[in-house]
Amino acid sequence: MKLEERLRGVRRSPWVYHLNSGSCNACDIEILDALTPFFDAERFGVKLVASPRHADVVLFTGPVTREALPKVVKTLKAVPRPRIVVAIGSCAVGGGIWWNTYSTIGGFEKFQGVLKQQGVEIDKVVYVPGCPARPEAIIYGLLLALGYVKQKVSKVVKVVES
Amino acid sequence: MQISRIASPLKLLTIALKVGRVTKKYPFGPPLLTESFRGAISIDPAKCWGCGACTLVCPPNALTMRLEGEKIVLEYFKGRCIFCGMCADTCPANAIIVTKEFELAATSVEDLKEDVIHKMSKCAICGKPFVATAEIRDVMKMQPITEEYANICPECRKKRAVKAFGMRFGAST
Amino acid sequence: MSMKDVVKEIEGKVVEFGGVVETITDTAVFVEIPKERVKEFAKWLYNAGAFLKTCAGVDERSINSRFAVYHIFGLDEKGIDVVLRISSLEGEALPSIASEVPAAEWCELEARDMLGLHILGHESKPRLVLPQDWPNAVYPLRKDVPYDYRPPSSVENFGKELPSEVGLPVGPYHPILHEPEYFELYVEGERVVDVFYRGFHVHRGIEKLAESPRFTYKTIPFLAERICGICGFVHSSCYVLTVERAAKIEVPERAQFIRSIVLEIERIHSHLLWLGVAAHILGYDAGFMHIWRIREPIMVLAELLTGSRKTYGINIVGGVRRDIDESKKKKALDVLRNVREEFKRFVEVFTSVPEIVKRATGTGVLPKDDARALSVVGPTARGSGLRRDVRKDYPYFAYRLASFKVPVYSEGDNLARLLVRVDEVFESISIVEQLLDALPRGSIAVESYEIPSFRKAVGAVEAPRGEDVHFIITGHGRPYRWRVRAPTYQNIPALKIMLRNTPLADAFLTIASIDPCFSCTDRAVVIRDVRSGFRRFASLFEGRRYANK
Repeated sequence: MKLEERLRGVRRSPWVYHLNSGSCNACDIEILDALTPFFDAERFGVKLVASPRHADVVLFTGPVTREALPKVVKTLKAVPRPRIVVAIGSCAVGGGIWWNTYSTIGGFEKFQGVLKQQGVEIDKVVYVPGCPARPEAIIYGLLLALGYVKQKVSKVVKVVES
Repeated sequence: MQISRIASPLKLLTIALKVGRVTKKYPFGPPLLTESFRGAISIDPAKCWGCGACTLVCPPNALTMRLEGEKIVLEYFKGRCIFCGMCADTCPANAIIVTKEFELAATSVEDLKEDVIHKMSKCAICGKPFVATAEIRDVMKMQPITEEYANICPECRKKRAVKAFGMRFGAST
Repeated sequence: MSMKDVVKEIEGKVVEFGGVVETITDTAVFVEIPKERVKEFAKWLYNAGAFLKTCAGVDERSINSRFAVYHIFGLDEKGIDVVLRISSLEGEALPSIASEVPAAEWCELEARDMLGLHILGHESKPRLVLPQDWPNAVYPLRKDVPYDYRPPSSVENFGKELPSEVGLPVGPYHPILHEPEYFELYVEGERVVDVFYRGFHVHRGIEKLAESPRFTYKTIPFLAERICGICGFVHSSCYVLTVERAAKIEVPERAQFIRSIVLEIERIHSHLLWLGVAAHILGYDAGFMHIWRIREPIMVLAELLTGSRKTYGINIVGGVRRDIDESKKKKALDVLRNVREEFKRFVEVFTSVPEIVKRATGTGVLPKDDARALSVVGPTARGSGLRRDVRKDYPYFAYRLASFKVPVYSEGDNLARLLVRVDEVFESISIVEQLLDALPRGSIAVESYEIPSFRKAVGAVEAPRGEDVHFIITGHGRPYRWRVRAPTYQNIPALKIMLRNTPLADAFLTIASIDPCFSCTDRAVVIRDVRSGFRRFASLFEGRRYANK
């Protein structure tokens, strides 16, 4: 698989870029926390970079507000392929508590429709729920994107017997 | 100034040496969880009534209820959940417990959904499905309602009450 | 001076202006003034020592077919809020008080954007809050606009290039900012001469959402928390405080203590976070890592006490949801003792490192007069010699029972603001220890309560960044209008003065020195009109008073 091969290239030392599309700050602080001594994501070669053009993985937070929308599209366009996005927090995954308000788009899943229209392809997305996502959850999500760990959740259907 | 240029890094070094290593080994070791952490919720299908009280208090609407033919589906979307635990506090059947699960990362949003499917009970008079079977079963255990009365949908019950009321005052059916 | 005397004094003045006075809560007075004379009255209040806290536009057409603007003043020395209402019929103009009280400019513009009010003197200014592509005649906060109305985005928006005549752009994505906000610095050589700010990228429509049927009084605290991920507990506390004041709910003492304890824990983690980020901005990464290491046990403690690392999820109207038992109390005291020791040792190093001290001294100066005129709050005010602290001025929760100092530095530079925060960490640790020791017994929440409609109340809580103000008009099942004024909203206009003549290299520390929290500020909406608007916008930033200086 082509994507898998290309993933191998970034696996050893993924450079991450933090993209906030209008989140409340909690997930952003937890991302920083994941890089500081107690969790130290640098164990996996993770390095926070300042430009999207240097990024292997985008750590995406926030429900995508209307005002930030064009700027977020522009920023993601600047990320080189393969574009790997880790959508962190309830806002980025499902729109969070403001999933249907007038000034948000409602999370990364809906945002992908806009990206497609604008011709921006995303090669791999990992969704990390949490409000805010714990630093451990962020590290876990990042490792899942890079293929180090296995996914633990799957769609559950429970039928009530009666 | 010259002295502090040398002294402060040295002081910092002594602090660092004294503290030693604090890094947790996660994911190869245990995470830094405390006993009160609230993670994803788990719904026990054996206890759930399908009453929908949780969907009313859920601030982000992560718990929703929909009708699918003759079934009621209670859907839990972890991707929108804010892990407040209000549903567990509210559930009249204590079917919801808050777990410490936080490793919820998934490559597809569908993997984050959980469905609890309830069969619906049919009205004994008009035959329309109107409420989850489990709710009738458990409510009957708690309240002394006769089966005859519990198996009737609100509309037919209203009609019946009007009829009974009318008959008492001598109206002819 | 007691509440009664103050009310009498205000009453005398109000009658002179032909208005009415009413006491709405134990700490707030409501004043209604004919709109023609509001300027004189605002000037009198301001000269009597009142700070403008915020103003809120309200669509009251369903009650009395008028639009109203509530200006909320605080008499800090007396601990009393004055809520000043002016109103007009749809289409009629309302006067602006920004020429008398410069701090009113932003919130008046917000009322204009969100409700379509015609406020005199603001007609030609570009939008402040709503997105640039938002349709013209749609005002989200009017009651007839549904909360989930999403007008289609225009596609041209994506192709638009930024203007070529820009100064030095900082943002919307920039390494020193965690959030998308846009600053433009105009420089002459190495000196900053002007700054333009285009914010509100994080506007999520929270105030409107709270009025929607999706929320009730009970669930809004969870929404309020998510206004800001750092000081979330402050917002939920301020919301419940305001509702409890409006409905006159007596909250059990134990709940009051727990709220104060969590608020102070939040202040410790927020200040440590800021100190770390400041060290990082100045290139002192070793300091950044050490401070965050010291901070981590506080986060674990917050999780232990509330169940979430970000202190989310325990505040409800009438009390709290989680209790502090003996074992948690013991653990908390242990953690705090360690943190105090470690932080003390580290501060000695931190405040003697030349790259911190030299670069923070004398940069980003905010003189006391300007701080007063712009009603700045929190460490920004205390670093400029203004002794403003809600915990002392308008005591709430259990702060009456704790003894603590309010650190004030008069230099007004970045170092002063940094030292205020360092001192506050120690004060907060001591407050938590005192309160934990004195934790009274009893229940942690009231069983039931009733919230009558159309009561007004003002609540203020000291957030790590300054005074957070909520204003509420109650309604059926949910607030009729809920207005949030976050501390950063009040502090950003002061950047204009701080950045003037600062070397470019220090501009970033200066921007960070107010501890900007844009998610708080933007909760509602925004705009930007770069081509036609940015020059005019710059003057908006100044407040007319400064334009002539």
